[in-house]
Amino acid sequence: MTKRETSRHISRHLREGRLQIAAYAAICLAVFLVPVLVDNDFLLNRYARYLVLGMVAMSLALAWGYAGILNLGHALSFGIGSYCMAMTLKLRTVPTHTGSDGLPDFMVWNNVETLPWLWVPFHSTTFAIAAGLLAPALVAAVLGWFMFRGRVTGVFVAIITLASLVVANLLVIDMQAYTGGFNGITDLAQLSLFGITFDAYSKSTYYLVATCLTLSLFACLAVTRSKAGLILQAIRDDERRVRFFGYDVASYKVMAMAVSAAVAGLAGMLYTVVMEFASPTFLGVPLSLSIVIWCAVGGRQSLAGAMLGAIVIAAMQGALSESEAFLETWTLVMGVVFVAVVLFLPQGLAGLVEIVRARLAAARARPAEPIAPVAAPGTGERS
Amino acid sequence: MTPHLALTDVSVSFNGFKAVDGLRLSVGKGELRCLIGPNGAGKTTALDLICGKTKADSGSITLDGRELSRLEEHEIARAGVGRKFQVPSVFRQLTVRDNLEVAMCRETGVLATLLRRARTPAGDGLEALAEFVGLADVLDDPAANLSHGQTQWLEIALLLAQDSELILLDEPTAGMTHQETAKTADICQRLKGKHTIVVVEHDMGFVREIGDVISVMHQGALLAEGGVAEISADARVREVYLGTMGIAGA
Amino acid sequence: MEFFLQQVMTGLSIGSILLLVALGLALIYGSMGVINMAHGEFLMLGAYSTWALNTFFGLGLLSSLVFVFLLVGAFGWAVERGVIRFLYRRPLDTILATWGIGIILQQVVRLSAGGELRYVEMPEVLTATVSILGVTVPGYRVFVFVVVAALFALTWALMFKTDFGRRLRAVVQDRDTATCFGVDADRVYSLTFAYGAGLAGLAGALVAPLKSVSPEMGTAYVVDAFFVVVLGGVQSLFGTVVSAGLLGQLTGSLAWVTNDTVAKALVLVAIVVIIRFRPQGLFVAKVRS
Repeated sequence: MTKRETSRHISRHLREGRLQIAAYAAICLAVFLVPVLVDNDFLLNRYARYLVLGMVAMSLALAWGYAGILNLGHALSFGIGSYCMAMTLKLRTVPTHTGSDGLPDFMVWNNVETLPWLWVPFHSTTFAIAAGLLAPALVAAVLGWFMFRGRVTGVFVAIITLASLVVANLLVIDMQAYTGGFNGITDLAQLSLFGITFDAYSKSTYYLVATCLTLSLFACLAVTRSKAGLILQAIRDDERRVRFFGYDVASYKVMAMAVSAAVAGLAGMLYTVVMEFASPTFLGVPLSLSIVIWCAVGGRQSLAGAMLGAIVIAAMQGALSESEAFLETWTLVMGVVFVAVVLFLPQGLAGLVEIVRARLAAARARPAEPIAPVAAPGTGERS
Repeated sequence: MTPHLALTDVSVSFNGFKAVDGLRLSVGKGELRCLIGPNGAGKTTALDLICGKTKADSGSITLDGRELSRLEEHEIARAGVGRKFQVPSVFRQLTVRDNLEVAMCRETGVLATLLRRARTPAGDGLEALAEFVGLADVLDDPAANLSHGQTQWLEIALLLAQDSELILLDEPTAGMTHQETAKTADICQRLKGKHTIVVVEHDMGFVREIGDVISVMHQGALLAEGGVAEISADARVREVYLGTMGIAGA
Repeated sequence: MEFFLQQVMTGLSIGSILLLVALGLALIYGSMGVINMAHGEFLMLGAYSTWALNTFFGLGLLSSLVFVFLLVGAFGWAVERGVIRFLYRRPLDTILATWGIGIILQQVVRLSAGGELRYVEMPEVLTATVSILGVTVPGYRVFVFVVVAALFALTWALMFKTDFGRRLRAVVQDRDTATCFGVDADRVYSLTFAYGAGLAGLAGALVAPLKSVSPEMGTAYVVDAFFVVVLGGVQSLFGTVVSAGLLGQLTGSLAWVTNDTVAKALVLVAIVVIIRFRPQGLFVAKVRS
């Protein structure tokens, strides 16, 4: 191989990297341009909702697609973020109709006399936002530490995360006096930040969501493009081998889970702002499964793919949700699509795009040579 | 001189079967040591014990006087132990380039690697290394697409990239052609002096070519130790290797 | 004393149903390494089959049992042939695919049979109560206990006394080697999966008269059954029995001590802790990996 050929390889590498960044930037730009075209606050609220769901699917792709951690309880992080935001916004509403000063109405109905200590710091919105990011990350890190120190892998990770989600969900519903129970936390004030009040049905909230989406997308992209991101992929492939290079596999996995959880927490906070309530369904098994489905269909190993998968599927579902019968059929169709994708298209639609692109490029560059097979799909899990 | 690697009375058993039984071994700094012995003598298990894949039941394993036997695998690797496995294990879904990037592991902490870019700039030896083992043409191919021979070479390249003080090679020439075996021997010769190397090998031609000192294991313990000629003449060694045939015929 | 006996009887009854649900799950997981998230839906399918046979063909519960077993078993066979067999090298994806199949089944049933609760009549002969050691026990519970014991004995014999069982154990040990010796591993797997599914269907048929039949009914059972499997160890049929009995007694007693939600949460926490510290189960000797 000559020097010139070597440099051709390097430039191909750099070019692909730049292409990825450009594509991601274009997606974000398009997201920001939507309010210019759509001047309808009701629709913008809907779109903001889909963007938030895209964000949480993207965060799962980081843990699942890159590090091979199938977190079936990802909604736990989302739900914690959502409740953190709801708690601070609840404390800003003046419960005139209950007659009790500074106490959320549902607490009054449950005969709670004083504000529980866990609620007190949520008088500060700054604290709430920090908690919405850090609490999910901390919970995920502790859970991750618990699992990965003991070298729990593969299907057992899926079961443990799922079980943890169900436990949290049961507890939130059970502790009605402190969490609003089955009804969640409703009747919230609007978020005020930097002198801007974010009405759920307004451009400002849409832009807030779009900004957070862009920031978190590029933050996750930075992780995947760092050396640590490469090591995560190596761990997904063969974690035992990674250990013999001196990397502490458990720490890397904990990091991936924590970062993924923090982004999901941010998405959860935004979801409360957009939906104007927090509900135990936000940390429910059905939502958690939906996140996995979005991620799988969009492409688990592509941040943008997972994000777009969630946005498109949620938007389609939103369009059909006018009718109960349609929605039931829709769930059935999603189940079939999900099984089909898992079977035949493990890299999701993003993988399909990649295959087509590679074939086109190969056909253009060297029409005479056979096309190299695409890398073996799979989750890289070894048991 | 204190040995670089020292195993003292190391034992391990699986379900009552003593795979390694009171093994003593000491290897000097920069030495190339061949470890031979009949099947089931415990050679691979010995390497597993050194690199931490298997934990010893008793005994001590030290590298430069530092106790390894209670460390985790990644800590042992950080202490300066690199290992090539009998069955080639590379990251099949990653490209050859990314495999090498992972193996270049001077920084292993999570934060340090988070702040580094995945791909090092050209000119830090990655390309030269790939060229050296004949993989320069397939740098951007997934390792899954490599042939068996190429996978072997990638594995060796990973070890070179890792650049450990102590290198453990488990049957490096298995399935290699004559030419490739010669090249592997050449690499071993070059590494000698700068690195301490322990090679488990069946190919006696290869051992004769590279070996200074040979340690013979039998039933989990050290049977004999010495130069090639000395070992070939050793009656006990002849006996464990199919009676009268001697190791020449092995 | 009588209170204690009453507790034991309740525990045995709960445990026998748990064992029935867990048996199929353990068989499929232990031999094929497949965590079948659709197992609860197979159970639900069995319950609905019983209801349908009852409603449309006038068949009683007892005469339905064989049909239900064959029906759900055949369905399981189809699922294995159509989906699972492509995923043996991708265990994580098996979880996802079977979860998806579970959703599909729930939706299909909801759309075709309706979301409302259905009821299955208990056989006339079994409505009487029986007195055991001075404790009054519903006859149907005794019947379930006997059926489960028989099914367990049958499964054990199938695994350890028949040629099929030997083939299955060979495939479990080393699929490639078994194939080399002429065992049709594909066939062994699909039959095992079908048998496990059939057991789930039977469980559904047997619990149908005790509780109402609904599209979501499987979920509750499968969590407990999964717990039994984890507790008992995947390779051990007898471990499954012991843990089913244990959990049955535990659930019977826990319901007295604390409320339902906390009991459920505790079961899940116990699953997590057991998986973390003893992934091979509590009743299996440590093996070299």
